[in-house]
Amino acid sequence: MFKLSSIEFGKLFHLTSLRFSLIALILFPILWAYAPGIFQVYGFFIVSGYQVPALSLLSSMEFLLPLIIAVASAELLGLELAHGTLPTVLLRPVTRSQWLLAKILVAILYPFALLAFLFVVSLVTGVFYGYGSFAGGTGVGAGGLLGQGILSAGGALAELGRAYMMAAVSLIPISLLSILFTVIFMNAAGGALATLALLISMKLLIVFPGLEPYLLTTQLNAYVAPIGNLGITFALIALYAAIFAASSVILFERKDF
Amino acid sequence: MTLAIETTELSKRYGKKEVVSGVSFKVKPGEVYALVGPNGAGKTTVIRLVTGLAFPTKGKVSLMGLDPHEKPMVRRKLGAVVEAPAAFYPYLSGRENLQLHAKLAGGVSPERITEVLEMMGLSEAQAVKTGVYSLGMRQRLGVAAAMLTKPEVLILDEPASGMDPLSLHLVHSVLQNAAKEGAAVLLSTHHLDEVVAYCSSVGIMEEGRLIDEVDIAARRERYRAKVSDAIKAQQILRYQEFIKQVGTRGDNVVFTLTHPYALSNVVSCLMKQNINVLGLGPDIFNLRAYYQDRLSGNRADAKADSAAVG
Repeated sequence: MFKLSSIEFGKLFHLTSLRFSLIALILFPILWAYAPGIFQVYGFFIVSGYQVPALSLLSSMEFLLPLIIAVASAELLGLELAHGTLPTVLLRPVTRSQWLLAKILVAILYPFALLAFLFVVSLVTGVFYGYGSFAGGTGVGAGGLLGQGILSAGGALAELGRAYMMAAVSLIPISLLSILFTVIFMNAAGGALATLALLISMKLLIVFPGLEPYLLTTQLNAYVAPIGNLGITFALIALYAAIFAASSVILFERKDF
Repeated sequence: MTLAIETTELSKRYGKKEVVSGVSFKVKPGEVYALVGPNGAGKTTVIRLVTGLAFPTKGKVSLMGLDPHEKPMVRRKLGAVVEAPAAFYPYLSGRENLQLHAKLAGGVSPERITEVLEMMGLSEAQAVKTGVYSLGMRQRLGVAAAMLTKPEVLILDEPASGMDPLSLHLVHSVLQNAAKEGAAVLLSTHHLDEVVAYCSSVGIMEEGRLIDEVDIAARRERYRAKVSDAIKAQQILRYQEFIKQVGTRGDNVVFTLTHPYALSNVVSCLMKQNINVLGLGPDIFNLRAYYQDRLSGNRADAKADSAAVG
C-alpha cells in the first residue's frame, strides 16, 4: 500500500490542474494583500502580515479552494482515463480497492498540501506589513476576531494554524466526493462538474434551516468556528468522507474496463 | 496439466446488446491461440473478460485454474496489453514506464528491464518520453511491459496494429519464443498470415459468438497430392498403416501421416496401383480463404473443406 501510495503521489505532480492551482494560489494572496477595497469588504485594514493568510483563506474557501480540490481529485483518476493507463495498471497484481484507496489517500492529503502552500505564500506576501501584534481582527476565528483587542504575534500564528488545519479537514469530503463522481462518470470533467453542481445546490438548501447544520457546505465554515463547537463538525466530516470513500471503492470494484 | 486459460460459456451483455455470447475455449501452456474476426466481433471484450477487467454476465473464466476476479493475485503470472495502441504515461520515458510497471508487479530487476527493452528494439529510445513515441514504438513497449515478469500467460489485444513489417515480425517472433518457453499466449489480431505461421489454434468470432475453432498445428501436418484419380487414391490410402487421416479436395488427395518420413511410402503405394502423382507437398492452409468463407456464410463449403481430413 505504501508503494502504491508513493506511486500515486508521484503522479500528483503531473496533474495539469496542479500547475494552474499553484499559479492561482500564488497570485491570490498578492492581489488580496494589496487590494485597495479590503476595508469596504471586510471592515478592517491590513496592519500585520498575519492578516494576509487569514484573508487568503476567507476569500478562497468560498469558491476557489473547493474548485481546485474538486478538479484535482477528479483529475487524479481522470489522468488514468485520459492516458488509457487504467486497464494497464489494473492488470498488475494489485486489487482494485488497493489501487483506489491509494488514490483516496492522495486525495485526502492533497488539501493539506495545498493549504500549506497557500499559508506559506500568504505569509511571504505579508512580509511588507511586518509580523507584530495587532488589533482589529485577523479575519479568521469567530467574527473575524474583530473587537477582541490586541492579538499577539504568537496568538495570530496559532489562530491561523488552527484555521488552515480545519479548512483542510473540511475540504476532504469534497475531494472524496469528486473521486466518487469521477468513478461514476468515468470522466474527470464530469466528476469535477458534478461535485461543484452538488455543492452549489447544497448551498441553496439553507432555505431549510433544519438541514443547514448538517450540510457538507456548512462544514466548510469550520475554520471560523470556535474550537469548542467542532465535535459535531468533525463527526459530520468523517461521516461524509467515509460514505464517499466507501461508495467509490464499492462502485469501482464493480466497473467494467 | 492445468489449463492456462479456460472460458466456459462466456457471455457479456451491455444493456440490451449481447456483445459476447457463449464463448468457450481453452489454451494450454505453450500454445498460441489467436482470436480473429471483423471489427465489433467481440474479440476485445473476450480479452477484457479473460483478463478480469470486465465482469461476465454469464459463464466462467479461469487463468491458471483461478478466477481472476476472485483471485486477482493470479495476475502475477499474467502479462497483458489490452489497449491498442498500448497506453503509457506520456510524461515518463520508456524505461521509467517499465520501472513503474515493475513496481506494480512487485519488483523486477533493472537487468530484466534492460533485457526486454533490448528484445523489443527500444534500447536507444528508452530515455525518450513515451509521449513522443510512434505508434509502433508504443506497441513494442507494450509487449516489453507484458514480457517484464516472464509471464506464464500472455494476453494481447491486437499487439501488432499500426506496426511496420519489421516490427510486426519482431512482435510475432517474441510471442512465438515465449510460447516455445512454455507461456500460453492469447491474442486478437487481423494479421492472418502471421497467425497461420505460428499459432496453435484460431478462434473465429462473429457477432459475439465463436463460430469456429481451427487447429492450425494439426493442419501444418497435412500433405496434399495432386493425383490422376483422387477417389481411388483415397480408397487405397485409407487402409495404409502410415496414414492417419485422408480425404479429397478436387483432384487432390489430402492426408496426414503417422510419421513425416512415410511421405515416400505414399508415392510408391499410389504408383503401384497405377495412380499418377502429378504433384506433392505440404497442404498449406489458406486461413484467409477459410475465414472469408466462414464469415460470408458460405459454411457448407467451409465444412466440406474441414471434413476433407476430418
